[in-house]
Amino acid sequence: MTEPKTGSGAKGGATMTVMTQTIARILFLPALMTGIAVLIKGYADVGDGFNAGVIAGLAFLLQYVAFGYEEAREKLRTKYLPAIGFCGGLLLALLTAFVPLLLGKPIFTHSPAPGAEVIHIGTFELITAVAFDVGVFLMVFGFALGAIDIVARATSRNHAGGSAEEREAGT
Amino acid sequence: MYNVPTVRNTPTIRRLEGEHGSKQNRKHLELRFSRSQTHPPEDSPLTTLAVILPLALALVAAPLTALAGTIRTAWTAPVGVATAALAFAAVLWGWAFAGGGSVDFPWAPTWNLRLAFELDGLAALYAMLATGIGLAVVAYASKYLPLHLEHQNRPDTDIPRFHAFILMFMGSMVGLVMAQDLLLIFIFWDLTAIASYFLIAYDVHEEESRYSALMAMLVTGITAVLLLIGAMMLYVEYGTFLLPDLIETAEPGIYLTAAAAFMAIAGLAKSAQVPFHFWLPRAMAAPTPVSAYLHSAAMVAAGVFLIGRVYPLVQTSQFLLDALLVIGFASMVVGGILALSRDVLKQLLAYSTISQYGYVVFMFGLGGPYGAAAASFYVIAHALAKSALFLTAGAATESSGGETRLSHLGGMLRQQPLLAASSGAAAAGLAALPLTIGFFKDELFFEAALERGMPFPLLALFGAILTLTYMWRFWTGIFLGEERGESRPLPAAMLAPITILGVLTIVGGIFVAPFASLTEAAGMVSFNAETPISPAYHLDLRPVNLLALATFGLGALVIISRPLWAGAAGVFSRIGEVLGPQRWYDFSLTGLNKFSDRIHWLEVDTLRSRIVAILIPLGILVGAGLLVAAPAEAGIYSVGTVESADIPLIVALVLTAVAAVAATVPRNHLTLVLVLSASGFSLTAVYAFFGGPDVALVAVLVETILTILLLAVLALMPSAVLKRSETHGSTPGTKRRAYIVGGASAVVAFLGVWGALSRPTPEESVAAQHIELAPDAHANDIVTVILADFRGLDTLGEITVVGIALLGIAALLSRGRLW
Repeated sequence: MTEPKTGSGAKGGATMTVMTQTIARILFLPALMTGIAVLIKGYADVGDGFNAGVIAGLAFLLQYVAFGYEEAREKLRTKYLPAIGFCGGLLLALLTAFVPLLLGKPIFTHSPAPGAEVIHIGTFELITAVAFDVGVFLMVFGFALGAIDIVARATSRNHAGGSAEEREAGT
Repeated sequence: MYNVPTVRNTPTIRRLEGEHGSKQNRKHLELRFSRSQTHPPEDSPLTTLAVILPLALALVAAPLTALAGTIRTAWTAPVGVATAALAFAAVLWGWAFAGGGSVDFPWAPTWNLRLAFELDGLAALYAMLATGIGLAVVAYASKYLPLHLEHQNRPDTDIPRFHAFILMFMGSMVGLVMAQDLLLIFIFWDLTAIASYFLIAYDVHEEESRYSALMAMLVTGITAVLLLIGAMMLYVEYGTFLLPDLIETAEPGIYLTAAAAFMAIAGLAKSAQVPFHFWLPRAMAAPTPVSAYLHSAAMVAAGVFLIGRVYPLVQTSQFLLDALLVIGFASMVVGGILALSRDVLKQLLAYSTISQYGYVVFMFGLGGPYGAAAASFYVIAHALAKSALFLTAGAATESSGGETRLSHLGGMLRQQPLLAASSGAAAAGLAALPLTIGFFKDELFFEAALERGMPFPLLALFGAILTLTYMWRFWTGIFLGEERGESRPLPAAMLAPITILGVLTIVGGIFVAPFASLTEAAGMVSFNAETPISPAYHLDLRPVNLLALATFGLGALVIISRPLWAGAAGVFSRIGEVLGPQRWYDFSLTGLNKFSDRIHWLEVDTLRSRIVAILIPLGILVGAGLLVAAPAEAGIYSVGTVESADIPLIVALVLTAVAAVAATVPRNHLTLVLVLSASGFSLTAVYAFFGGPDVALVAVLVETILTILLLAVLALMPSAVLKRSETHGSTPGTKRRAYIVGGASAVVAFLGVWGALSRPTPEESVAAQHIELAPDAHANDIVTVILADFRGLDTLGEITVVGIALLGIAALLSRGRLW
């Protein structure tokens, strides 16, 4: 709260330039879009839920850096997003893993079975493995955003606070 | 198109190879499972009930009592007594009227794990002891415990805990004795250890209690691991934990001997046999009812029970039997002599227990049908007498206002005639006087020794004389001699259990048939064959009677000549204190603690030492790997050729290297960060050219985040600190060290990468299999399909770790809130 509108790159009271903030704003949706695209094309091309989650997390990180904790959180309504990502991702992953068990098959039996027809929506395939990948995406995204949010909150509250916890935000 | 990751040797691939191995194992296990199908469960409703009912009642006693106690403290004792009584009645019914029975429920058939319980003779014997004496102890404690707590100014709310743990002990004993599956036996075995830990440490404010509880837990807990090891050895070899199957199929030999020896050691430690005996007298720190229970029917009895249970395996080896003989005799003598030198009542009784279970182990060692059956009979006789004697010790202490020493007690006969009579019966029972059940225990004991031949009858005689002597000392010390002070009247609920146990000791000396038949049934389980015994009084001069007479005569002599040997016994116990195993225990415990502290300090002392602690072993391991791998594999460390297609790759590599070297130059932190990230991004280009687009993508993302993070951290640092570290140059010493460390790690890393990348591709690589299988999984991207499908379970584990890391961050920085 000592520096409401400045991000972490600002030293000695200098605010982020208008240029940075404008670019950050412009880049936000395309960055999210890239993340989603990597997710959807996961089964056909480079990238998977992990990468997609990190890209989406980066899109938010950019906003936090440019606008500061308070404003970014306010504008993007990120309050519950980490919890949703965390719970939703874990739930989705667990469901795809263990529902087959209830049907009497080994865990992680994906359907449709090998050789069966798959419904395509563009490059997007309707298979349970993709659902699991979406779970991975949600979890990683929840982690990245949550870690950014919590660390930013801690540093904005206590400016000398540590931030080494964010290291794991990568893979 | 397929995006094949070219970086080999990733953990994923190695893990996959691991899975191949486990698949083979599973097939192996399935075979084993079908073999053991030959054990069909009996499913008559009555026999099933005969097992389930006592087991369920015994197991439910503790939670019920705890629940009742939490609702209202005053309900604890009645509910505890009632549940124990019900369990006892159920065991009696299950054995005497339903005739025992068994249940067998495979709960993890893949591993051939079963919930197999059987109420056989051995189980019935020990279950009756556990529930019957448990009932007596809980009834006694309902009066004793309030007095005990009052002495210590503790609130009544501590009562439910006590009853709940005693009953948990009872429940786990019943489970232990009925279990037929070694894994179940192990679980219940450890449950008894846990219950005993909390019971011994019941007076938790006293350091002595905590120390003793930990000691009992460590000695019995560490040896319990041996039980598990023994069970595992048998499982690995024969594919089942089920004892009846093992007894049928196991073949005598060194392997079986080793497994049986491990299990027997666990039993010996629990029965406090030499050299593990030191924990038992310590455990006297517990309240008296606990000691009574521990010694007669629960903890210590569990030890000999286990030996009785696995006896068919033990007796395949003459060596093990001989070892049991030696250990049993040593315990008999050590316990007996130390019992003669102790002044504190409960200490005397504790050493007598060691000695008495020494008898039992000795009898198991003697072998033969008499040995196995006599051991079981001995346990009954001892349990009745010893629990009564412990309760007597508590009663005498309570009545005299807290006196625990034999030398300060005396002359209670007049004031407590009932107590004197009942405990006199119990003491006579332990000392094997005629007209008590104890007479028969020694009769069988002598018989077993005679069956084996000389010199064992003489050793047995020696043990019996010791017993007679210390029992005489115990009883006369409390009840005869001059009166010492006022003796307070005792509540009926404390006297009644002692009286009943005393009466039972006498009854068993007159009507021995029911005890004998139970013993025969138990002996049959242990011996795995009929063990007919016929305890009876014979008025003639047969060898057994001669030995008994010799016991009484020589015992009287020893008692009279006490002044002659008292000093020697004292010296013996002193030597034991100085050189005994408790010293080793203390020594190893403090040694281990110090060692652990030192390791801990090495790691957490400073950030630098922590990093060093990680990097140096890593370097050594990698270096060793290089040295070992280099000569073994052909083609490794070879230098390939450079083709024109490789030029972009080489350019990217050179860029990375230049950036890495350049990173050593700048002083300014911002520049440093940028140079570092330049090196990282060039490396990303290398991955891309090397044919690993997925790896490259991840690398780009990680590099981006890392750069932003470094910048953020810089922004958080006070600028003065940054300035100072920029302007202050490093000393020549640190510079030299930096060059040495940097050079060394560069060489190791270079050799490692060279070795890994120049290794020839194996004929049958996992990557090829992945590519083959990918279309079946409807995928084009191998990496994604590996993550989401082939190695899905790993990914699930990994994202769970990611989630836990988030929770950890939240716990550290925002009191666990995610928003």
